[in-house]
Amino acid sequence: MNAPDRYERFVVPEGTKKVSYERDTKIINAASFTIEREEHTIGNILRMQLHRDPNVLFAGYKLPHPLQYKIIVRIHTTSQSSPMQAYNQSINDLDREFDHLKNAFEVKCVFLLFFEQYICKFYDIIITGLLVYLGILLNIE
Amino acid sequence: MEGVSYARMPRVKIRELKDDYAKFELRDTDASIANALRRVMIAEVPTIAIDLVEIEVNSSVLNDEFIAHRLGLIPLTSERAMSMRFSRDCDACDGDGQCEFCSVEFHLRVKCMTDQTLDVSSKDLYSSDHSVVPVDFSDPSNHESSDNRGIIIVKLRRGQELRLRAIARKGIGKDHAKWSPAATVTFMYEPEIHINEDLMETLTLEEKREWVDSSPTRVFEIDPVTQQCSLLNYGFGYALFSAFIGNAIVNSVHNSKLLSLSSSRIISRTNSKEWCLTFIVMVVDAEAYTYDDEVLKKAEAMGKPGLVEIIARQDSFIFTVESTGAIKASQLVLNAIEILKQKLDAVRLSEDTVEADDQFGELGAHMRGG
Repeated sequence: MNAPDRYERFVVPEGTKKVSYERDTKIINAASFTIEREEHTIGNILRMQLHRDPNVLFAGYKLPHPLQYKIIVRIHTTSQSSPMQAYNQSINDLDREFDHLKNAFEVKCVFLLFFEQYICKFYDIIITGLLVYLGILLNIE
Repeated sequence: MEGVSYARMPRVKIRELKDDYAKFELRDTDASIANALRRVMIAEVPTIAIDLVEIEVNSSVLNDEFIAHRLGLIPLTSERAMSMRFSRDCDACDGDGQCEFCSVEFHLRVKCMTDQTLDVSSKDLYSSDHSVVPVDFSDPSNHESSDNRGIIIVKLRRGQELRLRAIARKGIGKDHAKWSPAATVTFMYEPEIHINEDLMETLTLEEKREWVDSSPTRVFEIDPVTQQCSLLNYGFGYALFSAFIGNAIVNSVHNSKLLSLSSSRIISRTNSKEWCLTFIVMVVDAEAYTYDDEVLKKAEAMGKPGLVEIIARQDSFIFTVESTGAIKASQLVLNAIEILKQKLDAVRLSEDTVEADDQFGELGAHMRGG
C-alpha cells in the first residue's frame, strides 16, 4: 500500500545532488561523501580502489538503511593528500581500469569471431597445409 | 598527484562464446570489480520488455492481470536498448507508446475457431518495430521442426478470444526482474590445487581411490603410469612381468579389474631394464572443485593432513554468463562495463562542490595558522 515506488531506488529526485561532500569537523583530512541512489556495486569498488592508494589511511562505505537509497563513503588520508583528491583519483583509476577491460574483452571477442568465421571455415585447407608443411620438414630431416 | 595511478590492467581470456552463453577468465583484478560486474549484468543492463497492456477482449481462462504479467516476462530482442531512452526521461512523449524513442507497440489478436485447442504464443505478438521482437528460441540447425512455437501465453478453446495492445519500454532489472538480460551470472575464484606427491606415495591404491572418490565432483583421477625405476629399492618380493604384460595391466586397470590391488606399485622387467607401474593421483579438472573441503577432511581423517593444498586465487576469476536471449552474452558483458563506467562518471564530484571546498579549505588553512 505505502511501499515506495520501485524507481525510487535508482532515480535521483529533482533538486537533489548525486554526491555531497562533508568534511569531518574534528579530524583533518577526513571527510564523508554521500552518494544518492547508489549501493554496494559502486560503494565496494570505490572502497577497494581507495585501499590501493597509500595516502589513504581509512576508506569505508555503508548503506545506512535498505530503504534509504544512498551510501556514505568515508575517507581519511595523510597530509600528503586530501579525501577529495583520493576520491577523484580512485574514480579516474577505476574508469581507466574499465576502459582497459572493455578494450581487452572487445579484442578477444573480435578475435574469436574471426577465428570461428574465417579459420574454422577453411580449417581443412589449413590442416592440409600443415600436413604438407610437416611432410616437407620431415623430408628435409 | 599527476601521473600517479593505481589502476590495474586486467586480462581477459574467453573460453567459450555462444549467443546466449559465455565463459571467460578475468585476471589481475579483485573481487570487488568481479562482483560489481556481476551485479550490473543482473540488475542494471537495460533491455526492453512489455510494461503496459491494454486488453480489448479477453475471454480466455486466464484473467487480464495474469496475461499482462506473462507478457511482461517474454524476452524481447534488445540490441537497441542501450541507445533507447527511458520513458521517464523522454521529453518527446508522455510514455503512452506513441514515441519511437522510448517505446515499442505490440498487437495480439487471436481467436480460436476450431474444436482443437489453440496455443497463443509469443509468435502471435506483432511488433511495430522489426528490431524489437520476441526472442526466437528455435534451433537454427533444425529447419523443419514445426513444434517450436515460441513461449506459450495462454491456450484457447473454441470461441475464446484474446485481443490486446501492449507497450514495451526500456528498463533495468533493479526495477523489475523482467528487464534483467541475465539468466545466470556467476564467478568463482580460480582454484590452484597442489598435491603433495611424496605424501601421496605413502598411500595404497585402495586408499588413493577412496580419497579420490571422497570428492563430490570429479576433480582428481588415478592414472597408471609406467616409468623406468630401480628394482633394488623394492627388493625381489614383487612379481616380475614383461613389458608386454605390464601394458596388459595398464589396460586392465583402466577396465577397473585390478582395483583391489593392495600395493600401488607393480614392477616389471624387460631385458635388464626395470619398469614400475605407478598409480599417480592427478588433478583432471581443478575447476570442478566447489570449495567443499571434502577432500581436505578426508585427508585429515586418513591421518594425512597436507595431502593436498588448495588455494583460491584472489585475483583470478572464472565467469559464466547466461543470457535470456534479449542480448548476446558477449554484448551483455560489454554493456555491463559501459554501464559501470557511466555510473562512475555520475558519482564524480560536481564543480561547485569542489569550489565550495576550496574556499572552505583556504579558510581552514588560515584557521590552522597557514
